[in-house]
Amino acid sequence: MSGLTFKLRDGTSGRVDLSALVPHKLAGLTDRDIAQIVIGKTRDLVCVGDVFVLSGTSGDTLTFVGTTAACDGLGSELESGTVIVDGDAGAYAGRTMKSGRLDIRGSVGDFLAAGLKGGLVTVKGAAGGFVGAVLTGEKNGMAGGTVVVEGDIGERAGDRMRRGTIITRGKTGASAGSRMLGGTIWAEGGLGPTPGPLLRRGTLIAPTVARMTDTFADCGRHDLGILAIMNKHFSATLGALAPKPLPKNVRRFAGDLATAGKGEILVTA
Amino acid sequence: MSTASTTKTAATINGIAIDDTFAEAFGMSGTGIIITADTPKWAMICATVMTGFGTSVIGCGAECGIDCELSPSETPDGRPGVRVLMFGFSPDSLGPQLKNRVGQCVLTSPGSACFNGLDSPKKLALSAGPRFFGDGWQTAKKLGKKRYWRVPVMDGEFIIEDKAGLTTDAVGGGNLLICGRDRAGLLETTEAAVAAIANVADVITPFPGGIVRSGSKVGSKYKGAMASTNGAFCPVLRGAVQSELGPEVIAVLEIVIDGLTSDAVKQSMRVGLKAVTDIGAAKGVTRVSAGNYGGKLGAHHYHLKDILP
Repeated sequence: MSGLTFKLRDGTSGRVDLSALVPHKLAGLTDRDIAQIVIGKTRDLVCVGDVFVLSGTSGDTLTFVGTTAACDGLGSELESGTVIVDGDAGAYAGRTMKSGRLDIRGSVGDFLAAGLKGGLVTVKGAAGGFVGAVLTGEKNGMAGGTVVVEGDIGERAGDRMRRGTIITRGKTGASAGSRMLGGTIWAEGGLGPTPGPLLRRGTLIAPTVARMTDTFADCGRHDLGILAIMNKHFSATLGALAPKPLPKNVRRFAGDLATAGKGEILVTA
Repeated sequence: MSTASTTKTAATINGIAIDDTFAEAFGMSGTGIIITADTPKWAMICATVMTGFGTSVIGCGAECGIDCELSPSETPDGRPGVRVLMFGFSPDSLGPQLKNRVGQCVLTSPGSACFNGLDSPKKLALSAGPRFFGDGWQTAKKLGKKRYWRVPVMDGEFIIEDKAGLTTDAVGGGNLLICGRDRAGLLETTEAAVAAIANVADVITPFPGGIVRSGSKVGSKYKGAMASTNGAFCPVLRGAVQSELGPEVIAVLEIVIDGLTSDAVKQSMRVGLKAVTDIGAAKGVTRVSAGNYGGKLGAHHYHLKDILP
């Protein structure tokens, strides 16, 4: 595995936009070129070299060391290769990523994997609100790929999500799956209050729901064939990252009946 | 009329003559699906019904059969399954057959689910038709590159994958003609050959029990009939027509083989021929031949001398 390492300089503060620092955008650039890329988000001219110490050689892996919640856009628009974040990340990490892998070893801010199209995003810590959600001015949220968060995630995860999977070992915040059009949100620690407002299609899975949305209908407990397929799929594709296998029977709530109502909340406990 | 076979013998194995001739087979389109159910029994019932009336494209629209049983670890939903193969003249003719057979025979079977059974870059619509039984309540779940449809039915949900793999390099019509002087012994021997062929992957023997007793020739004296009895291999016509049969032969049975690849068909003929020569002599089998049309119609020629055991 070859690649560049970006170590945050001590005492760095202020928000930076790191969306330009992905392997396919850096291909062919010299260290000097990279050091001159503007990443500041204010009127002050802030370049990569002002904030990071570069080491290593160009390759398919980028490693960021010592990052903070002020580092936005990490792994954004990633098309191939791997981005490793050995620290926290700010907003928009993995935004509209198409392929490859983004590993964040700390926690991450809002809009993680917003508009994700493919690839794998993992987070060791917690994630903010609007994971996999739609971005302002865009039609839909996440359209593919997989997000695995070890900690809790914030409110409205999967807002207008269309395809793909969000898995959290922890809990979701309020209104997970809002306006969702498809895909799966799997909260092993439980869903927060009022999940799935205006959910059209798609699946929310959790052992518990803090407060069920009134416009979901209790369909009873069922043995659903798709669960075994999902278990097998995630075991095969995620390995150790896969969630615990779903039980044979789950309690199904259909909704949101305030809209198309073809979505579902599956309660596993 | 001549009454003797004009075909030379390529070899004699365990007293059974192997003709110096070839099976002439045709390029076909093929697909494979996996049917699962709660128990092996119900997976097999479903597969058996789904492949029924699927002996020949001449009258059935498609040639269908069961390739193999699958253990739970081999199926997408971890339940017992059966792999079914279907063959047709073209993707356009295969598609409607797949849709109708899955819609009428798999969707309807208790606890069934239906998945792609052939990895191929070419695809055939599998859920088109059956999923609309959901009357708008069907929903899709895309996992990786595969899309599964969930159709509400009275015993839960019918799961069906969106696409099935398609090959246009399939082969239909590999065959062995097994001749004998004892009809019961001939049937036992041919059954053993069919059982041996069943162990080869990617092939089916679509006729009843894998065996055809009504080998055909192209055309007929009757307008509209595409095929008619193969008089040259009908023992009761020996003497009346140009016969391929010697006086000792009182019956001929044929095994027709369709495969997803030419190699699979060839291997099937090889193991079938071995089974016949291993046990056939004691059961009255005297000769093995193969059916062809002079080599002018089919692109695939399997010479018996090339597949001797």
